Amino acid sequence: MNLQLKKIGHRYGATDVLQDIDLDIPAGKIVCIVGPSGCGKSTLLRLIGGLERPSTGQVVQIGDPPGDSLNPLTYVFQDFALLPWRSVEGNIRLVLEDHGITNRETEVIISDVLTRTKLTDFRQALPKQLSGGMKQRVAIARALAVKPAVMLMDEPLSALDSQTRELLMDDLVNLWTREAFTAVYVTHNLNEAVRLGHAVVVLSRRPGCIREVVDIDIPLAERTLGHPDLERQQQHLWNLMRDEAMAADQELVNA
Amino acid sequence: MINISSKRNTLKLLGLISGLAFLPSLATSAYAENTAINVGALRFTSHAASFVAYERGYFKDEGLDVTFRFFQAAQPMAVAVASGDVDYAVTAISGGLVSLAEKGAAKVIGGALVEEAGVDGQKILVSDAAYKAGLTDPSKLDGKSWAVTQAGSSFHYMGAKIAAKEGTTLSYKPLQKVGAIIGALKSGQVDGWTIQPHIAKPLDKSGAVHIIGNVADYIPDYQVTVVFTSAENAANKRPLTEAFLRAFSRGAADFNAALVDKTAGDEAALEMVNLVHKYVYADKPFEEAEPSIRNGAMRISPNAALNAASVQDQLDWFKSEKLINDSVTYETLVDSSYVTK
Amino acid sequence: MPEISQENPPKTVLFRGGGFAPRPNRWAGAALFIALIALLEMGTRSGFITPLTLPRPSDVLSTFIDLWNSGLLWKHLVPSFSRLLIGATIGASFGIGIGILIGLFSLLRAGLVPLVAAIFPIPKIALLPLFVIWFGIDETSKYALIAFGTFTPTVVATYGAVDNVDRSLIRMGQSFSLSWFSIVRKIVLPGAMPGILSGLRISLAIAIILLVAAEMLGAEYGIGAYILEAGSLYNLERLFTGVAILSLLGLGMSAAIGLLEKWLLGWRT
Repeated sequence: MNLQLKKIGHRYGATDVLQDIDLDIPAGKIVCIVGPSGCGKSTLLRLIGGLERPSTGQVVQIGDPPGDSLNPLTYVFQDFALLPWRSVEGNIRLVLEDHGITNRETEVIISDVLTRTKLTDFRQALPKQLSGGMKQRVAIARALAVKPAVMLMDEPLSALDSQTRELLMDDLVNLWTREAFTAVYVTHNLNEAVRLGHAVVVLSRRPGCIREVVDIDIPLAERTLGHPDLERQQQHLWNLMRDEAMAADQELVNA
Repeated sequence: MINISSKRNTLKLLGLISGLAFLPSLATSAYAENTAINVGALRFTSHAASFVAYERGYFKDEGLDVTFRFFQAAQPMAVAVASGDVDYAVTAISGGLVSLAEKGAAKVIGGALVEEAGVDGQKILVSDAAYKAGLTDPSKLDGKSWAVTQAGSSFHYMGAKIAAKEGTTLSYKPLQKVGAIIGALKSGQVDGWTIQPHIAKPLDKSGAVHIIGNVADYIPDYQVTVVFTSAENAANKRPLTEAFLRAFSRGAADFNAALVDKTAGDEAALEMVNLVHKYVYADKPFEEAEPSIRNGAMRISPNAALNAASVQDQLDWFKSEKLINDSVTYETLVDSSYVTK
Repeated sequence: MPEISQENPPKTVLFRGGGFAPRPNRWAGAALFIALIALLEMGTRSGFITPLTLPRPSDVLSTFIDLWNSGLLWKHLVPSFSRLLIGATIGASFGIGIGILIGLFSLLRAGLVPLVAAIFPIPKIALLPLFVIWFGIDETSKYALIAFGTFTPTVVATYGAVDNVDRSLIRMGQSFSLSWFSIVRKIVLPGAMPGILSGLRISLAIAIILLVAAEMLGAEYGIGAYILEAGSLYNLERLFTGVAILSLLGLGMSAAIGLLEKWLLGWRT
């Protein structure tokens, strides 16, 4: 299943947040969206997943999601959004409970995603017992459990320290390499963008519109820390963004 | 008399320490002219003796400068005497009063309202619902509910005495206030009650409640209310206390002559109703208040005489109900040196 | 860097932190309590405190023992317990139910919040005579008074708790296409539970306060009736015995909610 954004525009009251966004999200690819703070990249993600309605334009699904997909458009949130009163297993079970799956199937799915995210040993742990990185692993496992057609990841690593971030990036790369998934990955971190994105969409400051789409052809598995091509791409992205970021930084908050 | 002197010392300490307004002075001799005293009262006809003594200057004649403190119920008045906020007051003998006397805070110094054969006294009332269901006579009270303000109140005592004489048992419903009892009686929530005639008669007339008997038939010579003061006043301010009783008795005599014995003539009776109306039913027009005041006229003991037998009977009943300690005696409650028998 | 000289000797930096962090102390509470009781006992024994002012603690204890031995304690406790249990259960369940509805539906909120705010400050005791007319003088009016008294604080605590449920969790539920009912049952309710339970703490304390009021009218037995009777008899030993029983009841309730919190809210950090 592909997604296509057609002339998406959005406004909050009198403020234009997004303008004329045309974008293709091809199946099996990770599309990263970067941009200065306040450019509307998180808003764009909410529009894609149907948590908000765009003021103009539309988001179109091309092709049907795979038959076994329980929740085609699935989010991974920056703040993890785990229920603190449910165990790791319970949090994953939560999103399976409304789909009328048998207990056996549920069990199989949970075991599978826990193995894939290396959480099997933490099955009964409560969120409060887990580090930030582990919590986000649980959130990713939960997202995987519903077999999404597209994963919508909203700054999933921003709340983590840089070491944990590196580890999780490796995990995401491994996950994708083993079984390619489609994802829209919003981040303000250019390093994450060049490490994970097959395409990096650069948004301008508000009202956000697409400045450039940078394709990165290096296979994900080969993108190691300090890869010279990636360094160059990252530098290029930064050049694109620097002035925008500076201008955005100097805007009055309520302007 | 070691006991009494130690009690006195305690009281002195109490005055100094707990801030209760006991004067530590031992003014056993005379009191100054125009001594200010507080007299506690309810706006009931039964408190008329004080009102008369005040209006006719009998207190002034004794050199007493009286200020009335009005209360909604007898219970807080007893506590106010114990705390020294009120010097003299009239109330029914209740478990609370006995308990305060036992603690060395209050002392009965005379009698006030009495049940007397030939004078309209307190009535036994039943609700309309109970009446219609056949409760037309106190002998049929068995198993019925009986309204009282509180356990150990005079209503409780009267109910118990009536039940004992009829050989019946009652279940007592404490309802705290006379107003609440009247409401409960009117709506048939409780079956029976006793009250003074000025309240009983209008209720009976309204049809919501029926009079089925007289308390006097069950408790003859019932000493309903008594005059009391703080133990401090009784023990150490004899001239003042005696002066109060003298003025109070003059008021009582006027009241009895005008409205109970009706020996003073119609004019004096009317004048008395006028006087009482200043304090009782003051919110009602005279025409409405007059019959209530006349109906409520029960004898106030001449010379504040106290019926010792009745008081003893009440004490015995309180003890039998375990409402007061067995160690309480007549002397604990009453300072008989003031009492005219 | 300035030279270290005789006039300018090195000084340790002054400590300015610390404090403002309450540390648990198991014994202070009990010690203060025991000290106060001992002081009262000495004061009443020496005559420094008159029997009119305060009862002797040992007399209060012996009154309690008498109450226990005579079997009257249970005669008073059982009706009070059942009044508390039934009244508070009714009040709290309605309160939680209505509170959740207010939290979930804007229209109900607009209609009911001002109403609840208007009812909240009414002293429920003042309505007692009215309750007697409505529900009769027997148990029903007592249940109703306690239920009414616990209802309003529970409503306020509950809708406040629902309002405070992390919106990002609800958004998460929606993003996984959970049904509305599932979101309420699995996210909103458990999320509101801490607030509801702490509200319940207050509501139950109010229930105990109202127990005394409820037993003002037409109760022969009950801890509240016992206290009122003691007050009217000016029997301070009984009064304090009754008050102590109410305090114990309050402590018990508080401990029960503590256990409930431990059981239901173990997930909290």
